[in-house]
Amino acid sequence: MKDTQAQPIVEIEDLRVTFPQAEGSVRAVRGVSLALHPGESLGVVGESGSGKSVSWMAVMRLLRAPPAEVEAGRLRLAGIEVMQARREELTELRGRAAAMIFQDPMTAFDPVFTIGHQIIETIRAHRATSKRAARAEALDLLERVEIRNAEAILDSYPHQLSGGMLQRAMIAMALSCRPQVLIADEPTTALDVTVQAQILQLIKDLQDEMGMGLVMITHDLGVVAETVDRVVVMYGGKVMEEAPVVELFEDPRHPYTRALMVSIPGQEGGRRRLTEIPGASPDPSDPPEGCPFHPRCTQADAQCAAEEPPMAVLGPGRRAACWRLT
Amino acid sequence: MTGYILRRLLSVMVTFFVVSVIIFLMMHSIPGGPFDGGDMPVPEAVRQKLNAQYGLDQPLYVQYGRYMWGVLQFDFGVPFQSPGETVLELLGRAWVPSLVLGGLGVLIGVPLGILLGMAAALKRNSWIDYLASTVATLGLTIPVFVTSMLLILVFSVWLGWLPSSGWGEPERWILPIAAYATIPMATYARYMRSAMLDTLNKPFVTVLRAKGLSERQIVFQHVMRNSSIPLVTVFLPMFIGTATGSIFVEAMFRVPGLGSYFVSSIRTRDYPLEMALMLMLTVMFCLAYLISDILYAWLNPRIRHGGKQE
Repeated sequence: MKDTQAQPIVEIEDLRVTFPQAEGSVRAVRGVSLALHPGESLGVVGESGSGKSVSWMAVMRLLRAPPAEVEAGRLRLAGIEVMQARREELTELRGRAAAMIFQDPMTAFDPVFTIGHQIIETIRAHRATSKRAARAEALDLLERVEIRNAEAILDSYPHQLSGGMLQRAMIAMALSCRPQVLIADEPTTALDVTVQAQILQLIKDLQDEMGMGLVMITHDLGVVAETVDRVVVMYGGKVMEEAPVVELFEDPRHPYTRALMVSIPGQEGGRRRLTEIPGASPDPSDPPEGCPFHPRCTQADAQCAAEEPPMAVLGPGRRAACWRLT
Repeated sequence: MTGYILRRLLSVMVTFFVVSVIIFLMMHSIPGGPFDGGDMPVPEAVRQKLNAQYGLDQPLYVQYGRYMWGVLQFDFGVPFQSPGETVLELLGRAWVPSLVLGGLGVLIGVPLGILLGMAAALKRNSWIDYLASTVATLGLTIPVFVTSMLLILVFSVWLGWLPSSGWGEPERWILPIAAYATIPMATYARYMRSAMLDTLNKPFVTVLRAKGLSERQIVFQHVMRNSSIPLVTVFLPMFIGTATGSIFVEAMFRVPGLGSYFVSSIRTRDYPLEMALMLMLTVMFCLAYLISDILYAWLNPRIRHGGKQE
């Protein structure tokens, strides 16, 4: 599936997102660079406030400006520079080049229209098809996301369905225009544990089947382990480490990644106690000098507190930003 | 749905009965009677004869029973202040200017208010937003009789463009309608602005953008529909409110509408007319709310399906 020779679908270079506020701007994303190639699956991991969602909202140009201030050396979606894109170009890209699914399926649908209406309008926003043909497609999509009695669901209103059902419908809606990338922003966080695994498997299967790229934004390392090829770990609005998924789990290099691994319950030979990383996430309106992780890092020294660590290439597809690794 | 409507209609009847008793008692608890004189004192013997003629010498429950028996047959009696016609004839005559004034006021004020509120919400913190907020605040805080006086001062006294009072020719309608329209306009501008801002902040709007829908489609199909649900419910009651709401406007512009009868029927103890006016308002308000609720259910699937879960 992965095709690194081709033009990347998503190119992010030195992305910065700031939310100006009366006392001190919130610097949500502070210089992130990333690329996603066709058919590739990328996990973006970080705690809340790490800038993981905001970065991808910026790629879709879904951050409202004001308040958001987005700057980037390069921000391309399907080869188009989105920062300079006209409105019509953006509406064409959204849903088609990249589709997005969101955390809370219960609030993701317009409550006054049926599920069918909302899938059909998505199809018809991008392609000139008759309502009847679009409805047949919508039915087909609902069946593909393993919804039983799809015909009835098509005519249901969002409040009549369960969270798991709505998340499937949202996936169906996102796939309706055969996007090149599916950006899944915490797609299972709001769901029951029993449904989570099913939804992840579904996303994975559909990705393989349709050959599209996948971006899995999550705070849960368990989720990325099961669904993606490559992982980017974010902290304090920056990329800490990037690695193929197996290597990341076998040999995490950045102290933050290591700390995260230790804090996964059930790791490390069945320890029962929950381990946490001491300290709190950095205040985004007043991020620490130097490495954003240094106040909580066990290996930090004076240099970490003073200077920002450069991104060190550690091998093919592996990089990390830490003074200990340079 | 049919069961629901029937139950509501039943409750309208109960309300009607309760209101009729309350109004009747309150009306008669005001001291004095219709033939007590005032400007033109009537001899005691004549007064008693008149009271007997209109049944006012009977105990209250008999008077009430008689009146309501008549009402059930659509006989609302004869107004004391205008004995040459029945109450229904008087209302039919006076209703027309009020309906034209209130109806046109609402029909002009509501769309203007909606447009103003929409523009304010879509261009938040722009000049149009400040204009809309100013208009809405002024419209709601300045009493309508002050607005009326200002309009008369500017357009009749200073500019001399329009007549200051009367009814009849359509040019006499313009000022009272304009004065009256400020109320629904201000109300709707305020409601619409906040309803749209509220909807625009809903997560589903971000999803709609992420799907690649045009901003126009998002605003006109999704945001408008969601924002209009609360507005529908205030429309009909407001429309009915024109019957009383225009009392001041009618007084300022000397419009021969219903408004003046609300006051005069109480002042002159014109019991049949007063009862008829209040009962009519009661029924119309009840029906307006009933229709609004049905419309609301129709617009809002969450109510329509009554919490039915798959």
